[in-house]
Amino acid sequence: MSVGAYSERARAKAGENDGFSVPWSRPRPKPRRAVSARLVSAITILVLLAAWTAAASLQLVSPVFLPSPAAVWAKFVVVARDGFVDATLLQHILASLWRVFAALIAAIVVGVPVGLAIGISRIGRGVFDPLLEFLRPIPPLAYLPLIIIWFGIGEPSKILVIAIAMLAPVALSTAAGVRGVSRERVDAARSLGATRAQLIRHVILPSALPSILTGLRIALGAGWSTLVAAELVAATRGLGFMIQSAAQFLVTDVVVMGILVIAIIAFALEFIIRRIERVLVPWAGRE
Amino acid sequence: MSHLILDKVSVLYGGQKAPAVERVSLDVGKGDFVVLVGRSGCGKTSLLNVAAGLVEPAGGLATVGGRPITGPGPNRAVVFQNDALFPWLTARENVAFALRLRGVSADKRTRRADELLALVKLGGAGDKRIWELSGGMRQRVGLARALAAEPEFLLLDEPLGALDALTRERMQTTLLDLWAAAQVGVLMVTHGIEEALVLATRIVVLAPGPGHVVRTFETDFGRRYAAGEPIRAIKADPAFAASRAELTDAIFEGEAA
Repeated sequence: MSVGAYSERARAKAGENDGFSVPWSRPRPKPRRAVSARLVSAITILVLLAAWTAAASLQLVSPVFLPSPAAVWAKFVVVARDGFVDATLLQHILASLWRVFAALIAAIVVGVPVGLAIGISRIGRGVFDPLLEFLRPIPPLAYLPLIIIWFGIGEPSKILVIAIAMLAPVALSTAAGVRGVSRERVDAARSLGATRAQLIRHVILPSALPSILTGLRIALGAGWSTLVAAELVAATRGLGFMIQSAAQFLVTDVVVMGILVIAIIAFALEFIIRRIERVLVPWAGRE
Repeated sequence: MSHLILDKVSVLYGGQKAPAVERVSLDVGKGDFVVLVGRSGCGKTSLLNVAAGLVEPAGGLATVGGRPITGPGPNRAVVFQNDALFPWLTARENVAFALRLRGVSADKRTRRADELLALVKLGGAGDKRIWELSGGMRQRVGLARALAAEPEFLLLDEPLGALDALTRERMQTTLLDLWAAAQVGVLMVTHGIEEALVLATRIVVLAPGPGHVVRTFETDFGRRYAAGEPIRAIKADPAFAASRAELTDAIFEGEAA
């Protein structure tokens, strides 16, 4: 899991430097009329928007099924100002963000120690590995009913559903990070007089931090996509709840707007975490 | 006076039938600079790890100051080929690591770390991050970090192996300076024949299958440098060339030519 994430980072780096810049290779001459990937992406999005606008304005599809971009934008403004189902857009967003972050903290509090146990102790691995492997592939909608039976329909159940979805990525990335700590680094610390507790606190955890942060990034993605499921039952606020309520009344423009808002927030979260990674673990990929 | 002694030590790794090292004895006193040389697979690093307490001998006894070695200890600091520094800390914090583990106050450990950095000629680089340093500078930080624990013995596992030839040559004199200044006993593993001659007070030649001692040389080139003779003059000495030939013969002795 973290391996994939690292190569992703490496590729992003290479992109920034415009090709590999190994000291012994000369800068490759730029091919003329090169088209940047960003430009292609921008054009793709514009074409899609144009197609959407055309389809809507030519009434190829009924507005009930496909509202025009303008209608969605208008709805965005209205919901942001006046609200939808008794809450403004901001209140929906905050309700969802609060659930996801509460779940994230729960997943960190449980997942990091579990990952540490898997990484450093054979017993820990024996106990937790099968549990996580069992939990990981189950879709949240499958265990949602059970959680409602056990914990009711209140806020804790919603947070728990999201937290369970986040647990495996956090724990497994932590374990991978812990297992990846170089032997020499551990031996050097031991020969400098580190006790087992000091070794974990001063060497193993910091070494695993890049991997842990990657896990948090994956977990946030997983948690955010579980949001709608978590807000299926007895929610009164939240983006997922807003979309479902709108769908029940066929208010398609709110549905589309909600989907876009969810996507934009997910994108923003990803961006923020990458920034945090750069500040917290500037050495990742440079060793 | 404290001695680091390996007495007829054998090393057997789990899952292997043949021992990596069989009945090797070594004696490193304070002020000694003992260098282990030999072809790959002769157990140099295994012996160093036994001395460090990172590997338990299958037979024989390893002691330091008369006490059996049961694990790693700050009286025997290890420096590895790859620096094994902590990239989340600055150079100064890396050097101060052993002091931090002991709960030395931030003030004191900063002062001590800066002294040690100056000793390895890295004064002023204390605030640098590890990845901003060159290979040679990193290895200097690694040495300073090992010395911060105030060890009686420095165990060096090919500390210059990953450096380029020019940097390595400069680091050799740095090592000698440190050895003379810190009054420690050194046990070092190297592949470099000339390096062994320049540094050692005693060279132990090992041969593989299983690792055993072939010959032991007493040399004084390192001491001559410590006494003030320039390194170039030492290397130009015909005695140096003669020793190198003899040492090379000893290393390849018994190997089909």
